[in-house]
Parts: sequence; C-alpha cells; structure tokens
Amino acid sequence: MKKLLSLLVAIAMLLSLMAAATAQSPVVLTMGSWENTAAAVIQEMLDAYKEVSGIEIRFEPTQADQYNAALRLQLDNGTGPDLFYSRSYATGQELHDAGFNMNCSEIPGVLENFAPSSLEPWQADDGIVFAVPVAAVSHVVYYNSAYFEEKGLSTPETFEEFLALCEEIKAFGDMYPLANGIASEWDILECVYLGMLPNYVGGPEERALYEAGSAKMNDDKFLKSLEDFAALTKYFPDGFESVQYGDGPALMATGQAAMFIDGSWSSGTFARMYDFSDIGAFAIPAPEGFTPGMAFHPDYAIAGNSATKYPQEVKDFLAWIASPEGAQNAANHMPQGFFPMINAPITMDDELSNGILGLNEGRTLDARFIWPRMMDLYSAMRSNLDAIAKGEMTAQQAADDFAKLQADLLSK
Amino acid sequence: MAANEKRTKSMRIANMHIPSHGLMLFWSIIALFPFYMLIVNSFKSGLQIYANPFGLPTEWTLANYEYIIEASNFFMYFGNSFLVVSVSLFFILLLGSLAAYALAHWRSTVSTAIYFFFIIGMMLPIKIATIRLMEIIKSLGLMNTLWSLFPIYIAMGLPFAVFILTEFIRGLPIDLYEAAYIDGAKRSKIYYSIVLPLIKPALATVAIYNLVPIWNDLWFPLIFITADNQKTVLLAVTKLQGQYATDWPRVFALLTLSALPVITLYLLFSRNFVAGLTAGAIKG
Amino acid sequence: MRRYGAGSVHPGGFYWQWYLIPALLLYSIFMAYPMIDSVRLSLFAGTTGTRAFVGFDNYSRLFTDPLISKRFLNAFGNTWVFFAFHMLLQNVLGMMFAVVLTNRTMRGRTIYQTIVFVPCTIAVLVTGYLFKLILNPVWTGRILRDAGLAFLAKPWLGMESSALNIVSLVSVWQWVGIPTMMFIAGLQGISDDLIEAATIDGADSWKTFWKIKLPLIMPVVGMIAIMTFVSNFNAFDIVYAMETPNGAPNYATDIIGTMFYRYGVAGEHPTGIPQPGVGAAISTVIFIMLLIGVIPTLSRTRRKED
Repeated sequence: MKKLLSLLVAIAMLLSLMAAATAQSPVVLTMGSWENTAAAVIQEMLDAYKEVSGIEIRFEPTQADQYNAALRLQLDNGTGPDLFYSRSYATGQELHDAGFNMNCSEIPGVLENFAPSSLEPWQADDGIVFAVPVAAVSHVVYYNSAYFEEKGLSTPETFEEFLALCEEIKAFGDMYPLANGIASEWDILECVYLGMLPNYVGGPEERALYEAGSAKMNDDKFLKSLEDFAALTKYFPDGFESVQYGDGPALMATGQAAMFIDGSWSSGTFARMYDFSDIGAFAIPAPEGFTPGMAFHPDYAIAGNSATKYPQEVKDFLAWIASPEGAQNAANHMPQGFFPMINAPITMDDELSNGILGLNEGRTLDARFIWPRMMDLYSAMRSNLDAIAKGEMTAQQAADDFAKLQADLLSK
Repeated sequence: MAANEKRTKSMRIANMHIPSHGLMLFWSIIALFPFYMLIVNSFKSGLQIYANPFGLPTEWTLANYEYIIEASNFFMYFGNSFLVVSVSLFFILLLGSLAAYALAHWRSTVSTAIYFFFIIGMMLPIKIATIRLMEIIKSLGLMNTLWSLFPIYIAMGLPFAVFILTEFIRGLPIDLYEAAYIDGAKRSKIYYSIVLPLIKPALATVAIYNLVPIWNDLWFPLIFITADNQKTVLLAVTKLQGQYATDWPRVFALLTLSALPVITLYLLFSRNFVAGLTAGAIKG
Repeated sequence: MRRYGAGSVHPGGFYWQWYLIPALLLYSIFMAYPMIDSVRLSLFAGTTGTRAFVGFDNYSRLFTDPLISKRFLNAFGNTWVFFAFHMLLQNVLGMMFAVVLTNRTMRGRTIYQTIVFVPCTIAVLVTGYLFKLILNPVWTGRILRDAGLAFLAKPWLGMESSALNIVSLVSVWQWVGIPTMMFIAGLQGISDDLIEAATIDGADSWKTFWKIKLPLIMPVVGMIAIMTFVSNFNAFDIVYAMETPNGAPNYATDIIGTMFYRYGVAGEHPTGIPQPGVGAAISTVIFIMLLIGVIPTLSRTRRKED
C-alpha cells in the first residue's frame, strides 16, 4: 500500500515538473476567436503583422458555439488570450463591464478612423470604446445563377416581384424556391426577418422611435413586414420544420433549391465547401412604396485583454488593426463576405463579396433591429415567426404580441 | 428410446434459438446502420452525402482521410487522447477498487458516510464546478497541458467506480477468501489475488462506462487547452466545425478513425470481461 | 448463500484508511470541493464584476419568475419523459439482450454483444448529425417515398409533438449497450446449478427468468435504475447534438441538462450571457431531488445486507 502511495507522490511530482517545463519565455501573444474554419488565413494575417513588427501572435480559435462561455471562464481565471474577438453590443459589453477589456479609446487611430456609428456597437455607456471594430456583415438572397439563366428568370426589384418569382419557380416544379427552414432557431429571425425589416421600418432614427416606445411594434410597417414574411414562408421546402441552417447551402448546391436568404459570410461557403460557383446575390427587396433598406450588421471587433502580460505589444497590434494599412491587411486575409468597417478605401478581391457590398448603395443601412437595445425580445419574436411559418399564428396576432413584448420591455 | 430422440430433437431446435437470433439480428441492423453511414459517408466528397446519404459513394475518395492524417496532425491528437484515456482509466480502476474493497468490508457509520460522500458525486453536473476547477488547475500550474485533464477525469470516474465496485464486492461469496484470511493472508494480498480477479467483470463495466465519456469529452479540453500540441481528438473535430458551416465528411473521417481505438479498447476489455466471467467459476 | 459483504471476516475500523485515502483525496479536491463550493454560487446574481449576494432570490425566481419557472417546469417534465424512455425501453431491451446473450448454447454471442455496444463508441456529436440527416425529409424523403414509405418522410425533429420522443429513442439506441453489459455481468454470476435444478423441475425459460434470474439480479436492476435516474438529470449532449441548446423546436426537447447549460454556463443565444446563480440553483434543486430519490433506496439495501 505504501508503495502505491509513493508511486502517487512520484507521479504528482512528475506532473508539476512537466508543467514547469512547458512554461514559455519569448513574447508570443495569443488571440482568441470563434473563427474556427478560417484559422489558416487569419494566421497568415498575423504572420504578416510579424513581418512588420517582429511580434508573434498565435491564433487560437475555439468552437464557435462555445466561444462565449469558454472565453468568459478563461478571462475569469486569468488565463484568457491577450487579444480576443469581441461580439457587438450587449455580449461584448458584458466582458467590458467585468473589467476584462483594455480601453481602446486611447489607441491611436480608433477615434479618427471609424465613424461614430461603427464604434457604437463596441462603446460602453460612458463612451469608452472597448474593442477595435473590424468587420460587418449583411443579409442577402443568394440565387442559383445558372438556373436563373436557363429558365430566363431575372432578379426582383420589389418584394411583389420577389413573391412572383417564387411562384414561378414553384410552378416549374423542379426546385424549392427557397432553402430556408426554422430548425436551427436563429437564421429565420436573424437572416430572414431582420434582413427584411429595414425595408419596412427604415434606419437607426426610426429604430430609435420603437426603442423609446413612441412607435408601436404592431403599427402598419410591422404588420406589413409580418404579412410579407408569412407570404414568403409558403415557398420554404416541404418539411422546413426540420431544415437547419446548414442544410440551406447544401440544398442550393445539390440543385434542390433556387434561392436562400442568408448572410454575406456564406458567399465563400458555396465554392469552398461544395465547389459550387453558379451563385449570385440580390438584396432582399422592399415592397413598392417603401424605401429600400439593408441590414448591415456590425459583426466583430478585436479587444485587448486588460490583464495581459504584454500591454504595449497588444496596444501596438490594436493600433495597427485600426490603421488603414492594418485594416487592408486584415481584409486581404478575412474570410469572404466580411466587410471592413474602417473609414478608408479598402479593396477586396472577391467578386461576389464586392457585389454584395455594392448592394448597400442607395439603401438605408442599420444593424439588426433588436441588437442595439431590444435583445430581450429575441426568443419570443423567433417563436412567433415559427408559428407564422407553421400557420399557427396570423401576422396580426404576431404583431400584437410584438407590441406587448415591446411594452413589457419598456416598462422594466 | 423414441421419446428420448424426440426430446433431443426438440432440444436441438431449441438450441438453434430462432427467436433469439431474430431479435439480435434485427437489433444488429438497427445498431449498425448509422455506423455504416458514418463509414460510407467518410469516403464521399462534400455534396454526395446530401445527394445520396444512404448509398455507397459513386466515387470513393480518400481525400478526407488524407486531409485528416496529413493536414490536421491526427496521430498527435490521437496519441494525446489515448494517453488521457488510458492513464485516467487505470487510476479510476485502481483507486476505485481499493476504496470499494474497504467500503464493502468496513461497516460503520463513518464508512457509510464516506460511501454516500462518493455517491453524491454522481448527482451534480461537473460543469457547475468549472470555475473552481480552473483555479485549482491553474494553481497547480497545469493549465494548457494534457495533465490538467487526468485528475479531473479520475475524480469524475470515481463515484461510479466506487458505487459499482462496492456493490459488486459486497455481492461476492465469502467462503474462498475466508480460508485465505484464516491462513493468515494479508489484506493487500487478498485484494490482489482474490478480490481483483473476482471483480474483473465489474472492472470491465466501470472501464467501459468511463471510457466513452472521457474519450468523447469536449468541455474540459476546450476550457483548459489552447495549445495545439496538447489537444485531444474531439477537440480537433471542433476545428472542422465553423460558426456557420461544418465539413461533415471530414468530421466523419476523423471520427471513424477515432472510433477504432474505442472499439479496440472495448474488445480488449470485453475479452477480459468474458475471461473474468469464466474465471469466476466459484459462484454464490 | 453467504455474501462477502455480509459480516466481513476482516476487523473493521480505521485499518482501512490506506485503501480509502488516495481515492478520497483526489475526489475531494477535484470534485467534491469544487462542486459544493459552486452550490454557493446559487446565492449570487450576475457574472464576474457584477456579482452580488442575493440570498435565496435565485431559488424563488426558479419557481415564481414567469419565464424561468415556465422553462424549468417544462424542462423538468421533459426530463421525466426522457427518463421513462430509458427506464422502460432501454433497460428492458438491455435485459432482453442480456438474457439472450447469456444463453450458453447460443452461437455468435460475442459478436452480438459487440454490435449492441458499438453505438456507445460513437461521439454523440456524430450520432446527432447522422440521425438529423436520416430524419430530415429534405434529404431522405425522396428515398423513403420511392420505397413506398412516404408516411415516414416527416420533419420528425422539427415537430413539437414528436421531437422529444425521437431524441429519446436515439439516446436509447446509443446507450442500450451499457445496461446490457451490466445485466450480462449480473446474469453470469448466477450459478448453473440453480438453473439446472429449475429446468429439471420442469420450469421453462420464461419461468426461470421470472422466478430465479430476475430475483437474483435485483441488486443490478436497482443499480441500473439509480444510474438511469441520475444520468438522465445530467443528460445534455444528445439534445445539443440533435436539436439546439435551446431544446428546439420551441423548447420541446429542453431538458434539465440543456437548461442548466444555458443558464449556468453558456447563456442563451445570441447574447450568451449566463446567469450562473440561476444555473447553480437549478442544479442544487435537482441535486436535492436526486438525493431524496437515491439515498433512501441505497441505505435500505445497505441495511438489509447488514
């Protein structure tokens, strides 16, 4: 028995020796991220920074859906990465409130090179900017361009034309008009409905009216948006209840669906994963008589860990990313469909991404409607949209429920 | 004479176990079908899996396996996982059986309290303790190393090991080993030469029961390990899972490869399991 | 039949310390202490930086806050359905397989035994994905319709009426190997003499099972029942892999494990800000419930043998 104990003691000692041996010495920064699949290209970007500065940064992404939880635990424990991807609005700000983020207002270039509206998603109530904005995404309709050509279809200018187009494709009988489903419980709200919404309610000024309660979420604009949403769900695939987000691009690439309402981030997915390049994109069209809008959503920023051992090196990197040169470098290595937020002429070489960015022209841009102030409505809104799609709720009922949720939120 | 023949004949038919084979064959199909899908789809390219989920690949491709083995350091991850699982299991079985041996014999309020103290470990989700565990691991300087996983997995496996093994040892017949005690054998000798062989099936059960969750655990490697050379197989899987899109054929290839050792280990243990059963000819 | 545990031949007392200390030490430091300490979290609200003592507020929210209590009751009910599938289907199937596979005259037992166990070896992540693919009419509907099985081509995982049942069945499929193994171990321990004696007395296999085998492996049955009970309240992976951490569709497959994960660890999509205090309150309430269910059962069996 004693032998066993001494064995255990020996192992424990060995463990601590091993641990000591793995401790590192030269300056190597780490960067935490949810950008898992593009790790190789982003590491290239960081290697390019090493060429300039001599500082090595190691990209260490976490599985996307566990990122928030894992990052918080690591920061809590003092083992967080030196630099980390920061989500916009409440999620990002929560870490700032906990004191984990470096103050980025002092980083050279941050206040000069970004529009106030670009900084706002990463700005606390006291005005402190807690991360350097990097990229935004938008919501569009992808379509099978070869199929459109073959059938002589053209992309729609108004929502009415969009519905007519869906009807036409349905009549051909060889493809589902739309590849969207509701099973993943996020894309139906974030991509489809909140993608449509700027067409109906307008931009940040109009959104503020709803946030203040002076406009009700069952007004004519909202009602119209929900009626149009309901009309659109008629063109989802059979069994859309179990169609998940990831099924969408696959349905497109296997030629089973002609269109898919999605985010700009997917512009590279079709070619990269499925070798499918007959892809075009158009903006989700506004109905006649409405001003075209576009959900152009601030997606991510990079923050510095306030507890880093190398504050100066971290600040240098953040300043670089906030400069036109750094932003251009980042853009060169960004996955397709992520658009630089810096106020500088940045060029991207991907044609489809550039095309999607071009759709912003002449449209009122805004973040996803509920992100800035009304995030608490997320799950209730989503569940109403599901009910509409399943035919269990009318547009009017959903709108009235929205208004009730809005009132509840404002009374808090 | 004739009656006897008839009886042997009906026994022969009974020994064919037609309904039993029917049941097992039916279940075998159900059990193996998704496994078949896993393997078959790991040889398909990205789209075929959707176009033809059940069928054989129209063209077999090894590209997924090549990518996994060459580009993603499979053998390193695999070695890490293997080390974690085998060391953890060894200590779970060793420490668990020692404690169970004691708890099965020492009957007192204290021992009952200790027994229940172990049992309650099965009832709380270990994730709740993550923050505290991180602090402990960090203060031991084990952060970002494989070694951080051993103590946690061993501690996680102990409640179940103690539960099963204690029950098992208490259920063993007493006679043989009473003789050894009268002969003056020490407790450690009795543990080693009598108890351990008798509880082999239970040890195999405990090993198998813990093998699967440890091999497939994602949470603790995810939180504790960021250095690539310390990652486990399942953590490597997550490299293929993006925020928006997952490369399933590659995931399948990786998991087909990583399922092989689990099955091998299982076969190893289950042979032990069967051997233990036949060795345990002294039955109560 | 004299059992080893019934009146040990060893002297009792603290001689046993050396056998217990290694396990106790490791278990206390890396499991018991962190978990008990985490229960303390249930008295606090907020996350790091904003954490504040709130007494039993999290507990009262669990039962009175309209949203949280609705989710909690829903998850609690769903967990019992999930449990019922495992208790009634998984364990009964496991028993059937074990009886069949311990029949010495049957051929191919090792092969069957391995096959029953094979699903346990696949990562739940993959099980989930494979079944999502199989059960998705968008991908398999055509094949099913061609095979004349059109009635099977439904969005099983997307309908609130069927999702929980399907997820439970898949979980049974995956884990039935575990009770099978344990029952086999139990059944193998029964002396051949007993069975032979019964057979000579004219008992058929049905009778031998009910009169001899089952009563003798009752302790194993109890053990498995406790394990099933406890592990169902900690189950999480299969719902996470087949549906979402929200228990889609519309919380129809939300069980205690997923609810704890959302509140205690990850937060709900998209904000992902957890309420560790509520999470800790959930697991404490469940912990107490499990204790009430398990400890009396166990201490009864312990006393009986003394």
